[in-house]
Amino acid sequence: MHIPDGFLDMNIALVYYVLSAIVIGTCIYKIKKDGIDEKRVPIAGLVAAGIFAAQMLNWPIPGGTSAHFVGGAVAAIILGPFLGCIAMVSVVSIQALVFGDGGITALGTNLFSMAIVDVFVAYYIYKFLSKKNTKIAAFVAGWIGITLGAINTGIATGLSSTFQYSISTTVPVMGIWHGALGIIEGLITVAIISYIEKNRGDILYISDKAKNNPRGGKR
Amino acid sequence: MNFKNFVIEHKQAFLVILVAIILSPLFALAADAVGYSEPLEKSAEHLGAEESPIYSGILPDYSVPGIDSPIGTFLAGLVGSIVTLIIMLGVTMAIKGRRN
Repeated sequence: MHIPDGFLDMNIALVYYVLSAIVIGTCIYKIKKDGIDEKRVPIAGLVAAGIFAAQMLNWPIPGGTSAHFVGGAVAAIILGPFLGCIAMVSVVSIQALVFGDGGITALGTNLFSMAIVDVFVAYYIYKFLSKKNTKIAAFVAGWIGITLGAINTGIATGLSSTFQYSISTTVPVMGIWHGALGIIEGLITVAIISYIEKNRGDILYISDKAKNNPRGGKR
Repeated sequence: MNFKNFVIEHKQAFLVILVAIILSPLFALAADAVGYSEPLEKSAEHLGAEESPIYSGILPDYSVPGIDSPIGTFLAGLVGSIVTLIIMLGVTMAIKGRRN
């Protein structure tokens, strides 16, 4: 799902850089405005480091076509959408800058797929479904978040000349494959979130927010 | 923030991350064995799109230049996790604002 250099037309890459910069800037503004409790700082660092490590574990599925855990939903559910986005920005940027995983020109697009679409889609799915069942909510958040992130990758490549502008091929290929593989992302997400809910439920964004802002407003 | 207390207080999280890093060379070998390839590569192959790398990174493809692959993968994972931890802690401190 990490687009390398050479896959995207420069105008597409540039548009995604601008879109990602706007959303990331908005996230930073929201975080500064609302503030973060001091005790959540180490959690943010550990979530990002954990997602980096988990992304190294490529699923060895026989037949070859496979994927690895991305973690946008885990970041969103633990840290909330804004700080979760920043955690994924750290992971995806370090992957590109230190490890050459994902191109430099494609970084804006890769951030949009994995740090923005995945995180925000997963957050709102979890927020909506967790009122009924937090396990189902975490599973669906992980599954649909990654699938829509992959569809964004399909859109960006499908609008580029190297992919012969074949958006009608790239979107289904990305959507169907990652939709199927995304079930694993959903299962890993529910495993992680259920474990945290059971042992340290207080660190999850939604419960932390409810505790600090009982009426949903500012303290 | 005291580093020792940080580790002790979050030892479970550190342990989970360490286990993932230790397992990463095994997963890399297994992925090689099954011919790991992502849907994006399938799509590129099908449409004839080719990469044109302009930058390979400091530790290219999660390896350490000159070190055998499983140990290189482990070291790359260790370095990457530590760098990510430090960067995210720093960024969060810098943007956290003041909660009141």
